Amino acid sequence: MGTRNKGVGPWLVLGLPIALGLAWITQGTGVIENDLERNIYIPEELTMPLQVQSAYNGEQIFFRYRWPAERPHVYHDMLRYEDGEWVRHGRSVPGPDPDGTYEDRVAMLVDDGGVPQFGRYGGYITVGDQMRFFTDSASPAEVAEHSHLGEQLGQSDVRKYLPATRSDQKDWRSVVDADVLATQREAGYFLDLWHWRAGRSNPINVSDDQWIGEYRNSDAGSGPYTTNWDDDSQQPVWMLDPEQTGQRSLRWEDVTSGDVDFDGFYYLSEDNRTDFDPDHDWQNGDVIPRRLLRQPVGSRGDIAVHGQARWEDGYWDVTLVRDMDTQAPLDDKAFREQGVYDIGIGVYRNATGSRWHYVSHPYTVGLGREADFQAMAFNGDSPDWSNDWFDMTLFYPGQVNWPLLISSAHAGAEDIAEGTPVRARHSEKQLALYGVEMEFNDAITSRWLMTLIAGLIAMLGVTLALLPTFRSTRQGDRS
Amino acid sequence: MNGTHAMLSHFPIGFWALATLMILVGSFMTGRLADISRAALLPVLVLSLLGALAAIAIGFIVWPMAANLASPLARNHILMAFWSLGIYSAITVLVWKAGDTAFDGARRWVLVILALTGSLMFASAGTLGGHLTGSTTAFSQVLSLMGWEVYTTFYSPLWVIAVMVLIGIALGVLGIMSQRRIG
Repeated sequence: MGTRNKGVGPWLVLGLPIALGLAWITQGTGVIENDLERNIYIPEELTMPLQVQSAYNGEQIFFRYRWPAERPHVYHDMLRYEDGEWVRHGRSVPGPDPDGTYEDRVAMLVDDGGVPQFGRYGGYITVGDQMRFFTDSASPAEVAEHSHLGEQLGQSDVRKYLPATRSDQKDWRSVVDADVLATQREAGYFLDLWHWRAGRSNPINVSDDQWIGEYRNSDAGSGPYTTNWDDDSQQPVWMLDPEQTGQRSLRWEDVTSGDVDFDGFYYLSEDNRTDFDPDHDWQNGDVIPRRLLRQPVGSRGDIAVHGQARWEDGYWDVTLVRDMDTQAPLDDKAFREQGVYDIGIGVYRNATGSRWHYVSHPYTVGLGREADFQAMAFNGDSPDWSNDWFDMTLFYPGQVNWPLLISSAHAGAEDIAEGTPVRARHSEKQLALYGVEMEFNDAITSRWLMTLIAGLIAMLGVTLALLPTFRSTRQGDRS
Repeated sequence: MNGTHAMLSHFPIGFWALATLMILVGSFMTGRLADISRAALLPVLVLSLLGALAAIAIGFIVWPMAANLASPLARNHILMAFWSLGIYSAITVLVWKAGDTAFDGARRWVLVILALTGSLMFASAGTLGGHLTGSTTAFSQVLSLMGWEVYTTFYSPLWVIAVMVLIGIALGVLGIMSQRRIG
């Protein structure tokens, strides 16, 4: 055996680089996979670019957004006739809608300093405990029974909310008293939300206008869409007006083709509808939008599309416009000359909704004052957009919420307590990768520990195997 | 504790880098420098282990354990630190066991292979430590070129973990049996 060791023994050391090399080339595999039952779907691309411009003329402020999208998704929430029934397609699901019937969107959170944490941590502060479509999302029944969210607001899920609207950051139920919520709102502790939808607002050249407080609330008034469905008769209320549009419905093959005629009738609105005709000879594959578009009313209708928002050559190009001061201080953040405002932008594409969006770091836009990028001052009704684009990288945020970020499970919790901004510590790519890993945290932690120990076992084994080879061979040495 | 850990970490990293250099010089060069490298290797290795134990012990109280276990960067830092400690512990035991014959024949290749493997580990542990304190280095891009994005946790599929354990057990048993035969 001693002779054999002299020949082969030393080379048993190769067992270690083989073991560790195998670990190296296979690392990161075997855990992360989609699991729709647990609300887990990981997008193929974790980051995406977004270009932004802004301009103002003293009366109105304009924001222009441009982002790549493989194809436009303008159909949302559709009713397809199938063997005598109207089947719904395009409700909110984990990951992309399998039929592509979920609209593209751009959403922008705006603050004027009333929510200081937003300027440092962006949309993360709005992601609370047991949000909808998280793996541990709150049960709809429990939310519906909640005295404020359920009984007062009529909701059955937990959506974006601000930290101070809860007395316990780890508990979505701990909504503070209604009078405190009202006082917070009067003090400016809310985020303005510009919410453009390719299906539910863009065809009639408007955007939704909402705000984030203890929930994702809508501004006063009525929004740009309502529901086209009669529960009693189990059929739509309206259909396309054949006299005006030449058709009563859309066709499923057109809806799912990926092609859109922006000048055609791909939507149902107050201007092109008529009462639903149940006696018509409906054919399988006939499609009627489940949403009727209508002109928004009141504060909720403050934001309009400027020009035409279109998808062309692989890019969406969307410009929104709003009065700088809407005179609705409980719903909107007013823009003023020499002001600096915090914004955070989210984009939905590839037929995804809910939390499957790409979000930005928080940035500042300045109106004549230094900021991350400048809103261009101009005279007239329409900016010429001669100013440069401001380039952002958006990222998939995964399942990371504010309670986690301020807990002992986040190494940066002390930095947050001290007010260190997220941009100083984390890149978009880093946050996307962390967000994905957090969706599998327990499994990854377990596998990591096993890998660590297996490596140490391999090292111990190699050491034991090499000990005979490393006996001292000179007289007088220890052996 | 962050600063203390950073300070202490320089000792094992410095000693391991020096030990690796001494192994390369002792293996491939002749003359006085090579003689000194071979003779002084064991004390350097022992000091590196003492430094590593101190750095790791302090490292575990920089952040709460929950944060260590939830952070990909911290997990990777811990794994690479322990693997570095494991490899240089192996080198230390072998050099101690062989005495001044540690560089004889093919043994030098054993030391070179272990030292170079260990170098990758402690360099990774070090650069991850930099990331954790907000000071990134270009070395992480080298690791990325080698197939590992340092912002993702280093873990292996179960079959690889099983292979690693089997390699360890098989080689360990082989070594124990050889020891018994030699007596």
